[in-house]
Amino acid sequence: MLKTIIRKEIQNNIFSFRFLASLAMLLVIVTVTAFILTNDYLKKIDEFSQRQTEIENYMKSYAHFNRVQNVVRPSLPPLPFLSLIRGISSDVNIDEFDDDPLPVMFPLIDLVFIVTILMSLVALIFAYDSVSGEREDGTLKLMLAGDVSRAGIILGKIIGGVLTLLVPFVFSLAVGLLFIILQPRVAWTGADWASLGLIVVGVFLYIALFYGLGVLISARHRSSASSIMTSLFVWVLLVLVVPNLSPYIASFISSTPSRIKVDRETARITDTERDDLGSRLQKERLQELAKKYPVLAENIPESEVKDRLAADPVFREAWQARRREVQLAWDEANRIQNEKAGKIWRELGRREAAQTEISLYISMISPLSDFTYLATDLSSTGIRNQAHFGQVSSLFWQAYADYSRQKIAALQKRDPSTDWWNTPVDMSDMPRFRYQEEALGGRVKAALPPVGALLGWFVLLFAGAYFSFIRYDVR
Amino acid sequence: MTRTIVGKEVLANLLSYKFHIVLLLTVVLLLTSFFIMHRDFQNRLADYQVIRPKPGEPIALVPPNPLSILAKGLDEAMGRSFEVGVTGITVRAGQKTGNLIFSFFPAPDFLYVVRVVLSLVALLFGFDQVSREKEDGTLRLMLANNVSRAKILWGKWLGNFLSLAVPFGLVSVLGIAFLALDPGARFSGEQAARIGLILIVTFLYAAFFLSLGILVSTVTRRAASSLVILLFIWALVVFVIPNLGTLLARQAVDVPSVKALSEKRQQVWTREVLLSIEEGRRAGAQEAGRGGWAGHVATINEDIDRLEEDYRVKFDRLVRLSKNINRLSPAASFVYAVTDLAGTGISEELNLKGEVIRYKDSIIHQMISSMALETRAKEYPAFGYRPRSLGSIFAGGALFDAAWLVFFNILFFALSYFAFVRYDVR
Repeated sequence: MLKTIIRKEIQNNIFSFRFLASLAMLLVIVTVTAFILTNDYLKKIDEFSQRQTEIENYMKSYAHFNRVQNVVRPSLPPLPFLSLIRGISSDVNIDEFDDDPLPVMFPLIDLVFIVTILMSLVALIFAYDSVSGEREDGTLKLMLAGDVSRAGIILGKIIGGVLTLLVPFVFSLAVGLLFIILQPRVAWTGADWASLGLIVVGVFLYIALFYGLGVLISARHRSSASSIMTSLFVWVLLVLVVPNLSPYIASFISSTPSRIKVDRETARITDTERDDLGSRLQKERLQELAKKYPVLAENIPESEVKDRLAADPVFREAWQARRREVQLAWDEANRIQNEKAGKIWRELGRREAAQTEISLYISMISPLSDFTYLATDLSSTGIRNQAHFGQVSSLFWQAYADYSRQKIAALQKRDPSTDWWNTPVDMSDMPRFRYQEEALGGRVKAALPPVGALLGWFVLLFAGAYFSFIRYDVR
Repeated sequence: MTRTIVGKEVLANLLSYKFHIVLLLTVVLLLTSFFIMHRDFQNRLADYQVIRPKPGEPIALVPPNPLSILAKGLDEAMGRSFEVGVTGITVRAGQKTGNLIFSFFPAPDFLYVVRVVLSLVALLFGFDQVSREKEDGTLRLMLANNVSRAKILWGKWLGNFLSLAVPFGLVSVLGIAFLALDPGARFSGEQAARIGLILIVTFLYAAFFLSLGILVSTVTRRAASSLVILLFIWALVVFVIPNLGTLLARQAVDVPSVKALSEKRQQVWTREVLLSIEEGRRAGAQEAGRGGWAGHVATINEDIDRLEEDYRVKFDRLVRLSKNINRLSPAASFVYAVTDLAGTGISEELNLKGEVIRYKDSIIHQMISSMALETRAKEYPAFGYRPRSLGSIFAGGALFDAAWLVFFNILFFALSYFAFVRYDVR
């Protein structure tokens, strides 16, 4: 019997206007998006390799140790997944004078957008009248008159509905992937395909969840006209409002000091305040020293110091001790003040991390954010990859520091009189930055909490739909 | 007769479930948005007070714009501090928080609520205007009276527009009035006029979606299919076209990436540092190196200026093209018009950058020569920025965008009129 209901649902849907409309829409949008993003990715690769060549050529003429670390700075290569998912690696670059404001005005479209906004809307459009509509048509009464349990009907409806929903998505995704497969320069690895597979599982969960939501709302309304209104209301809240509000709400709950204020404060601590402390420490130490070397208490004009140093060995010793003490005083001041500033920065970092975590949790109320985190982390275009890139870069900097130390030592051994720091050197043997994507295992682990949240929603909504339908007045 | 129809529509709306749910949604959203964006503005204002340049400092910094509470747009990018040094402009205080979640989702300002939610609500008011009355059979009864089809359509349009615009307008005005109580955000007379214009554009935008809804409702037989079509069109107009248009424009215009530009800048710098050290070594004296360094700094400036000039010309072309592609969607026209009026749009940002560059050009020679002479010029003229006037905003595209919205309105209303005149009411 369950099979019959599923078949009936599928047939009902497939011949419906909304099925054709959503198939046509998705086919066009997914294909166009995949096409444009793939081209964009190819352009990015070309640009990236051109930039790398430029750096290599540059290093042939101007490689030296003083400032060249600014030229060989690691940069993230375009990842093959960019031909489907853009993530947060978008190109705003607010730290540069010539930033790119276009993505701020209109966030760019990608697979995540298509799934989170369009597919959830399509799912609700399919589900809103699944119970209330059949009641209005009178077919629900007829169905229940047959030998079939309510549980069977609701289960059949949900399975049939989700299956039909998947058809337009999978079909249009397949067409979009054709571009990627047919384009020989987009080299997807096995891990890329595996993570795409996992993302598709996420899509399945996401769609099923919204379908369940639609059925639940439908089973709580008498007329389908009002169930679509409620569905859209809930959809707007979950998809368009909660994620956008979450970081702002988190900043109310756990505020962080402004970076600008901290920047000013720490600059003051390591500058004027350090100078005050340094002078005070110097004065104290010199007073102490003056007891040992009374000669220092004499007020000698600066012009005479040089002669006196040459003539008077006692004075020379005292003067050297004085210089040592001054150095110690300022080292001490620098250490104390840097520690103080470092503490403030660490505290800021801690509080920012706490706020990020709270925003993350609040936003995870919305299935949209769950799916976004899942997809961007799996495809290495999200927060996690930024941290990963930071780690890989710091490994490179370590290797670079080792290399430059050894190289300078070797050069100095050969020719101690040259200032190797500021002389062009052949650095063709220096370590190169190679970006390695994080292994799939780590990414999957990162995607587990959002998957858990999606599953939780899924179970909750299905249970809700089931219990609402059991008590539904079918007349 | 029109009055009767308008009255009937308003009454029918007031009593409907749809109206209540929509009212709840818009009120909650608008008030939350005003509250949150106001807090955000206050935080930025406090930051501005901290980094405000002292007299004589060569720093270009504009205060946050109170209208960014309504349309944040690029205000954050415009509020960065641009510090002029001998080697050009350094941007400071760019990223104001380490909370990465902000970069995932757009800011929930008034602009966002209108663009996304009000448009959807307007569609929900329009989608069943004709087909539902046909299904109920009331359309036939209405037409049996002495009333023209044109009047019925107009009455329906107006009645629904009023039941949408009046509550929305009231809540918005109330929210804005509350904002005006804050002394930090006190709006000047000119800004109040801008807010008025923003509200007018908002109503034009909502009216477009209402007309679209009525049009689709007159060409479909059933309200359910009308809704499906409308939701798809809505998604296309509000999300897909404007977001895809920018990407499309990028395919056509070759703009170097920001990263490439900053790498080139570092290369020029590093090269000149090395060359100047070598020169100094050859000359053998520190003094010769000093004077020479000023020459190298001038070279760095020239090279970087050339690079950036080239970038900006291309970027302007990209902005123009992407704007024109995006204008296929009234939602993009709406965003451009509102952000331009609020002074947080792309044109305003480009204008500000142009002014910052002009400021840099006016003091950089003095800086370099005083560096060469090892004297420190302490006082530089302050940077002053006057946001574009309403006249130049209109001339720069806002008038076109508003007219474009009016055109869409007339077009879709006319289309629905023609469709309704031929409508089979049985």
